[in-house]
Amino acid sequence: MIHMLPLLAPLLLAGASLYAFRAPGLRPRRAVRVVELAALGSMLVVILSGVVLALQGPGTSPALGYRPFALASRLDLVSLVMLLLVSFIGWLVLRYAGTFLDGEARQGQFTGWMAATLAAVLLFVQSGTLLQLVVGWVATSLLLHQLLLFYPERISARRASRKKFIVSRTGDAALIGAVILLAISFGTGDIATILAAAREGQGLPLTIAAAALLAIAALLKSAQFPTHGWLTEVMETPTPVSALLHAGVVNAGGFLLIRFADVMLQAPVVLAVLVMVGGFTALFGSVVMLTQSAVKTSLAWSTVAQMGFMILQCGLALFPIALLHIVAHSLYKAHAFLASGSAIETVASIRRPGPVAIPNAKAVGRAFLLALAIYAVIGLLFGFADKPPQALALGAILIFGVAYLIAQGLADAAPWALTWRTSLYAISAATAYFALQRISDKLMLGTLPATPQPGPLEWTLMLLAVVTFGVVAVAQSLFPLWAYHPAAAGLRVHLANGLYVNALFDRLLGGWMLPRTTSATPASVKE
Amino acid sequence: MTRMTTVDTLHGEALARAADDAVRAIPPAWPLTATVAVNPFLGQVSKTLDHTAARLARIGGVRLTLPRKHYADKIANGEITDEDLIAALQSSALFNRIDLPALKAAVGEEPQPVVALPTIADLAARATGKDWPGLVSDRIGTFAAGFFDQGQALWAASRRNGLYAAWRAFATHDLTPEILGLKRFSIHVDETPETPQGAIERAAVTLGLGAEPGTYFHQLLLSVGGWAQYARHIQFKAEVEGRTDSTALELLAIRLVFEEALYAQHKTEIEREWQQVRHKHVEPVSPDFDTVIDGLLQVAAERAAQRKLTATLAAPTTIKVGELRPVLQAAFCIDVRSEVFRRSLESVDPAVRTLGFAGFFGLGASHKGFASDVSEHRLPVLLKPSVFSCSAADHDGDADRQARFGARATRAWGRFKLAAVSSFAFVEAMGPVYAGKLIRDGLGFHKGKRPDAAKPHFAPDIALETRAVVAEAVLQAMSLTEGFGRFVLICGHGANVVNNPYASALHCGACGGYAGDVNARLLADLLNDRAVREKLAVNGITIPADTVFLGGLHDTTTDTVTLFEDDLETDIEPEDIVRIRQWLAQAGSLTRAERARRLPRATADSVIARSRDWSEVRPELGLAGCRAFIAAPRTRTAGRSLEGQAFLHDYVWKKDEGFKILELILTAPVVVASWISLQYFGSCVAPSLFGAGNKLLHNVVGGVGVVEGNGGNMRAGLPWQSVHDGESFAHEPLRLTVAVETPKEAITDILKRHAQVRALFDNGWLSLFALDERGQMAWRYTGSLAWTDMRQDAGSEIIQKAAS
Repeated sequence: MIHMLPLLAPLLLAGASLYAFRAPGLRPRRAVRVVELAALGSMLVVILSGVVLALQGPGTSPALGYRPFALASRLDLVSLVMLLLVSFIGWLVLRYAGTFLDGEARQGQFTGWMAATLAAVLLFVQSGTLLQLVVGWVATSLLLHQLLLFYPERISARRASRKKFIVSRTGDAALIGAVILLAISFGTGDIATILAAAREGQGLPLTIAAAALLAIAALLKSAQFPTHGWLTEVMETPTPVSALLHAGVVNAGGFLLIRFADVMLQAPVVLAVLVMVGGFTALFGSVVMLTQSAVKTSLAWSTVAQMGFMILQCGLALFPIALLHIVAHSLYKAHAFLASGSAIETVASIRRPGPVAIPNAKAVGRAFLLALAIYAVIGLLFGFADKPPQALALGAILIFGVAYLIAQGLADAAPWALTWRTSLYAISAATAYFALQRISDKLMLGTLPATPQPGPLEWTLMLLAVVTFGVVAVAQSLFPLWAYHPAAAGLRVHLANGLYVNALFDRLLGGWMLPRTTSATPASVKE
Repeated sequence: MTRMTTVDTLHGEALARAADDAVRAIPPAWPLTATVAVNPFLGQVSKTLDHTAARLARIGGVRLTLPRKHYADKIANGEITDEDLIAALQSSALFNRIDLPALKAAVGEEPQPVVALPTIADLAARATGKDWPGLVSDRIGTFAAGFFDQGQALWAASRRNGLYAAWRAFATHDLTPEILGLKRFSIHVDETPETPQGAIERAAVTLGLGAEPGTYFHQLLLSVGGWAQYARHIQFKAEVEGRTDSTALELLAIRLVFEEALYAQHKTEIEREWQQVRHKHVEPVSPDFDTVIDGLLQVAAERAAQRKLTATLAAPTTIKVGELRPVLQAAFCIDVRSEVFRRSLESVDPAVRTLGFAGFFGLGASHKGFASDVSEHRLPVLLKPSVFSCSAADHDGDADRQARFGARATRAWGRFKLAAVSSFAFVEAMGPVYAGKLIRDGLGFHKGKRPDAAKPHFAPDIALETRAVVAEAVLQAMSLTEGFGRFVLICGHGANVVNNPYASALHCGACGGYAGDVNARLLADLLNDRAVREKLAVNGITIPADTVFLGGLHDTTTDTVTLFEDDLETDIEPEDIVRIRQWLAQAGSLTRAERARRLPRATADSVIARSRDWSEVRPELGLAGCRAFIAAPRTRTAGRSLEGQAFLHDYVWKKDEGFKILELILTAPVVVASWISLQYFGSCVAPSLFGAGNKLLHNVVGGVGVVEGNGGNMRAGLPWQSVHDGESFAHEPLRLTVAVETPKEAITDILKRHAQVRALFDNGWLSLFALDERGQMAWRYTGSLAWTDMRQDAGSEIIQKAAS
């Protein structure tokens, strides 16, 4: 019974949401306060749930409803981490929106939709049954749709939300299909029972099909290539919605894979596909991001890339690390969106200390060697031996990133003090993430399945990933030496346009056709 | 090269002139790093508001006045009286065509909404149902964002060979238009002439413009919004420095290439309509009846405000300006926000006196901040820097170097955060740290940004002779040549906000969108210099030996004042500083209480917290409400509340030999104030053209501006939240009333010599009044260098009223 406690969190927000919907007119201050208090309350509930988990161990609450059609709350480390994350970010985003939207005519409604969306996400991540999973998933998406269309008169808002609607409904269908197959295959709607059975059992064809559908749902939800277009175009709604979307909602796909980690492990081929799609999206998104001049658009591309990386981690069966990535990325991205008004100051401060020291090929080479040395040292300290090869490959990819930091300090024009500082930063960053991964691994031991030994397919994919990420990392480090060469100009244009995937999608959907009701006023003259 | 033959060289010159006119019809927009208010009608000052309204109605589809209901309400509640309406009518072209009852009837009905002439993109959209204007603005936006990027993207577009060449390189590779249905566009671009002039000429031939595009080119530049204004600012800056620039012209060429391509693709469907549109563009612009009525109501609203100001200045005041030597004499910027603070400060103690002067205090400094290579032009944008300064302390170069290393390491870290591959490492390592940052920023725990601690100094140093000349000129211009107090506070101002792209718009306009601390500290230091004082004494300006000049910074968001007493080379008594601080603190709390009444959701106690709230879209209201400019001794305005709506410039005409200072005031601070007033005006009445849109949707682009939502046009001007509080306008759009205490002949004489300034008054962009020897509004400038005596006016109006 005590495991029902987390249910109180979405209930509080849902109640506050109803209250906000009924608050009419300008400056519904009371409703704004009620909603913030509800968000704080739900965070408190989640913290108490953590205490319950510590004392009572994981468990599923008694089911409400008839067997496969029942709702129940699942309390374990995975759901607790997500509950903590979502309620924390939810509180800050609602608090932000309360001030940010001041003076907006429909602030009450906005607050209502936002609280309701959060309630749906909180319901989703504590799903103990398949039905609740579907309800939470679909509700989140439909409620978010209302927020994305907060300014329905904006043509681009409609264009983007239409794309999102189509992608989301396809994802819904995939999830519902997966859930039905799981229910048939395991003969229950209780997620904990399914996971336990999957951990014991062999990969039946039905389970593999379910895993494939889960993967499709997750890929669509996480805006993976080539269905990423909607995510990079939903800046047509107030900033807090972007923060909530990029830090709270977009994670649903990753959460789905992590929740069903035991099922996913039954289907190595599906995991291999995740590695390929995720890895490609990660590289694609992060390279496109380099060319984006608008701060929110750049952040959106960064989300596409980070989600790709998270999917890659899931594909490598590094589920605890993927969960860590979700948490880390959400916190970073929520802050980045909410603070995106500082972009003017940030760019100005870049220019103040004078020209950037550009490393040459030699410096970059040394930087990569140094980075690998750091990796070796830290690896020895944290223990290489008990790490699965997948984790080592991932570590190598991450250390290539750190090499870029070192390379900047090794440029000929860089003074010694700068070299020293960037090296220090590099060592701290490397230590921090190895430590965090270690903690995550330890914490999730028993809750999430261990990474299996790689087979030939996995080895090939890992090698491919390490090599491609390595090549891009080297190109990135040498970047200023080639990026402004006329020969690279075409490449930049194609990348800035996201390789036209989005334009093709638009063309397919007739996205640039004008709705019949609006006249052809030029975009510049719209309010 | 066969296509060379299709270029109509006959009209080349006429087209070049037309293109140049179109570019100059666009107001410049400065980057948000240091933005200043610009008169959006800068290109139309030689025409009246009515005429400009007619032009912008034709090409922009906007009216330049508020809906009639606004004026009807003001008439109903008695703010606008019959006298105001009659006076407005008398000065209008409708004088004999409409009487007061008919006018009042017209106020009750909203005029037909105006519709802009369609561009070819609009016509093609109508013909095909496809959002061509949106696509054009999206494509130009994507390109321009990369081209003008100052460091947001790690991989910005190449700027080689200028805007047009860079765009051709972009557009010949960009497949988007073709995917979305603009067939063969890349090839079309590839075949355009290599020069923007050539492209304009060829497009003119294709579109059948002949030598007369009329208002068409202006419309095309309007349709790319802030990008055109930003490009125009590059030209504007170049011309201040004596160079030329064609960025805005090149943007026009780009927009024309899109029109040409769309025309070629849809010629059959749109040809007939296009011919009509083309002819309409060439027709002379003339305001219709409704536009004239609108203009007339606007004048009536301004008359009402002027009546109120006349009454305020005429009201008796109990304040006696002390004869004793003031302990604190505080010089503030003329900014309207200073008015509230000055009034509060004077009310705290009779030993305090204040004066107003342009906030750069006459020192046009090009300044490099502490540990910075960037030269900040801390002076009005109309001027060239006259002095160079920096905050790097010579004797402590090590601190500067260390700070630079820190900043460079932070920058390397920032690149690590954004770069491909390394961004993953960043997120995994540092993500959890952001939980702390979210709490810190969400609860407003972080500290505000402080001004540079290091004292600014001239670099290279200036010779004593020059310093003395500068000091004398500034003191003369401030009308501060005698009666120096014990302490003279030179107080610049700046805002203190977080997470706000419009931070620089809240800083000091006279300091080019920066805070005024540097200029204030430079001047204080200059005037504390014994050697300079000796030179000044020779020229008749005697500064008492015990007078100390203090630099200060008025934080307009929190109404606290930072004193830079550490800059002083001589020691002063601690109790003096304590007393001054107390006065300033008291004045601050009075000011906050007064401001809180206008600021939504604010109480006197919550004002300070707003400055650190990262979600606050209205941390302060800036210069909203500005409506008057008064150049007179402070005695004329002291003790009277001008409600934070007036620019106050100290000016004593009897001390002004040859009216040199008057000339300076009318040509510099008045013009800057008019830019501010008209920027607010434009952002209120025509937000779609001259406002920056909705802050909730702002997406900062290139570190220089904002777009609304995904992309498309950059938006210049003020955001809607800055002029409107959700319920009503935070700024009532009224053109500025300028009142100067001086013989009117002196003003006439100056207007004769400055055609640009005269145009502002003659065409009604500003109203001009002369105060009489008692400080009352006595003379109204009626244009064409003529004046009417307001006291007679009032008399005649009363007679008229009695007769009716």
